[in-house]
Amino acid sequence: MTGPRAIRLTAWREIRERARSRAFRVGVAVQILIVIAIVVVAALSDGGTTTYKVGLTGAEAAEIGRELSEQSAADAEIEVSTPASAAAARSEVAAGDLDAAVADRALIVPADPDDELTALIQLAAGRVESESRLRAAGLDSAQIEAALDPKPLPIADAGGESGSGSGIAFAGTLLLYIAIFSFGFVVTTGIVEEKSSRVVELILAAIRPSQLLAGKVIGIGLLGFAQLAAVAGIGVAAALLSGQIELPSSTLSTLALVLVYFLLGYALYSCAFAVAGAIVSRQEDVGSVTTPLSIVLVVGYLLSFSTSDDPSGALATICTLLPPTAPMVVPARAAVDGLPTAELIASLVLMLLAVAALVRLAGRIYERAVLRVGAPMKLTEGLRLARRG
Amino acid sequence: MLELRDLSKRYADVLALDRVSLDVGPGEISGFVGPNGAGKTTAMRIILGVLVADSGVVAWEGRPLDAESRRRIGYMPEERGLYPKMRAGDQLRYFAELHGLGPDDAAASAERWMERLGVADRAGDAVEELSLGNQQRVQLGAALVHSPDLLVLDEPFSGLDPVGVEVLADVLTTESRERGLPVIFSSHQLDLVERLCDSVAIIRSGRLVASGGVDELREGRAENLWEIEIAGQADPLDGLPGAHQVGPGLVALDSGVDPQSVLDHARRIGAVERFGRHRTTLAELFREVIADDRP
Repeated sequence: MTGPRAIRLTAWREIRERARSRAFRVGVAVQILIVIAIVVVAALSDGGTTTYKVGLTGAEAAEIGRELSEQSAADAEIEVSTPASAAAARSEVAAGDLDAAVADRALIVPADPDDELTALIQLAAGRVESESRLRAAGLDSAQIEAALDPKPLPIADAGGESGSGSGIAFAGTLLLYIAIFSFGFVVTTGIVEEKSSRVVELILAAIRPSQLLAGKVIGIGLLGFAQLAAVAGIGVAAALLSGQIELPSSTLSTLALVLVYFLLGYALYSCAFAVAGAIVSRQEDVGSVTTPLSIVLVVGYLLSFSTSDDPSGALATICTLLPPTAPMVVPARAAVDGLPTAELIASLVLMLLAVAALVRLAGRIYERAVLRVGAPMKLTEGLRLARRG
Repeated sequence: MLELRDLSKRYADVLALDRVSLDVGPGEISGFVGPNGAGKTTAMRIILGVLVADSGVVAWEGRPLDAESRRRIGYMPEERGLYPKMRAGDQLRYFAELHGLGPDDAAASAERWMERLGVADRAGDAVEELSLGNQQRVQLGAALVHSPDLLVLDEPFSGLDPVGVEVLADVLTTESRERGLPVIFSSHQLDLVERLCDSVAIIRSGRLVASGGVDELREGRAENLWEIEIAGQADPLDGLPGAHQVGPGLVALDSGVDPQSVLDHARRIGAVERFGRHRTTLAELFREVIADDRP
């Protein structure tokens, strides 16, 4: 049998068996629900139109009402009613039936007035007053219209950090950190499962250790990639559909960078997680042997906050070039527009070199350690094994 | 033909195999016996390439075994191993494909072997949900599912119930007689080895101390032992020159002593209920060989 076929078979087994497990399905469902929930909550708290009830009575009630209906903004609707008297308006506001009232050129508000509504009413009343003064000064309707309709100032985008850009960076970094750690961990437990159940001897009687390792890492990686892409894609789609958050134009490139760095980061870390699995024999030892790896990942994740705050600092550049921290740091920097292209390219090249080197080393250690059973092997012993023939 | 030539393997300061040579021909069932730790498992793992010998060669059809020809071996490791959470049927299909069968052939073969081994109704269950005996049957299926050209089974009978033992015995004889497969298996159940095997290899402390056909070994080893029982007499032949009572109803005759004269003597003592040449069992041979070899 050819190597690619052996790798494909083992990779496909990983995908099929893991996708079939209840834990995986529940996990994906929960992640998707969380992403959708975040979008929905954001949409609800952000938006929706508010309806204000305003009572108008006495002098200029009709004019203020007309202005108010023109003023009502996109996200606020104003319902106008006409209380019988100023006293009636006052009691309706006090009872909460009205959000505010204007009676005989006086604004009546409840104990906790709504600032937006107050501003709208003041603006409307102001326009009515301005109009009558302009009319008294002898202007005709067209002139009054022109005087009261100033052009708004043009808005220029000064660039720089955008709130939603860093939001996406934050979400992307978190997803990357969780995905690399959880799928790397699955590689360790999968290898230990094969060792502790002894099925590995039966498999290695049929295919080479490097083929088994490659199939396992690729299978779990593809599944992880699909899960990450699905969760991120559903999240972005939900956000776009709800129409509540405006995505910056860099979203798609950030998303692509997140996926690229997931692949590279997973490739790098899964080698280390595979070595961790190969040098122990029991599931009880998985926790202690993966601790150093999780520490490195956590440090990378925490560093990504500082490097997003100061994307042009020396720390950011170092973390971008170091392969273990690059997966968490690079997409975040790119999202806040703080990543020079040269650094991105340097980071990708160094990542690829590190992955190539670690794949070979991990493969050698794995081959020599995977059939050994018993007490956990020291890493130095594993390295010594890798040096031998 | 499987040939082991001068296999040696050392673990730290223990010589696990010391120049072991052994042949298993087509259609031959060879029993591999020896005390625990004698080197049976080490030899089998070397055949499968799971372990590398320090020196010596394993050849198949005249050529050293390589990864490609090893894939044609059906192997059952001493340490049983299957994916605990994978369904039994899927597992056999997977192993068939790993050994080079296409998806359709793999599915058909997996189904056929589940049927033959009596676990067809458990194909959809995870292996960890099966009883130990049924797990053992699936394990056998994993060794057989790719229609191997050679079977190497490490303790295949341990853990099987009597029905399972008969099923496996039938499978081994059928595969070897009808398909001409060489089969080598290790076992501590010497009566089974004696019943099934054409040849036996006895190994002790890494060295092969006897090998050949069961009858051959018997001829070479057998003392002149006779079974004799006389009603009401415990040691009937005590004091007869040339005859030595070696056990209850078991007498060793010196060479040159005529068994017929012994029978005549016995008939004078009482009613002879049984008289005949003792057929040495493999268990006795084994004990003798292992004891003889002790330094």
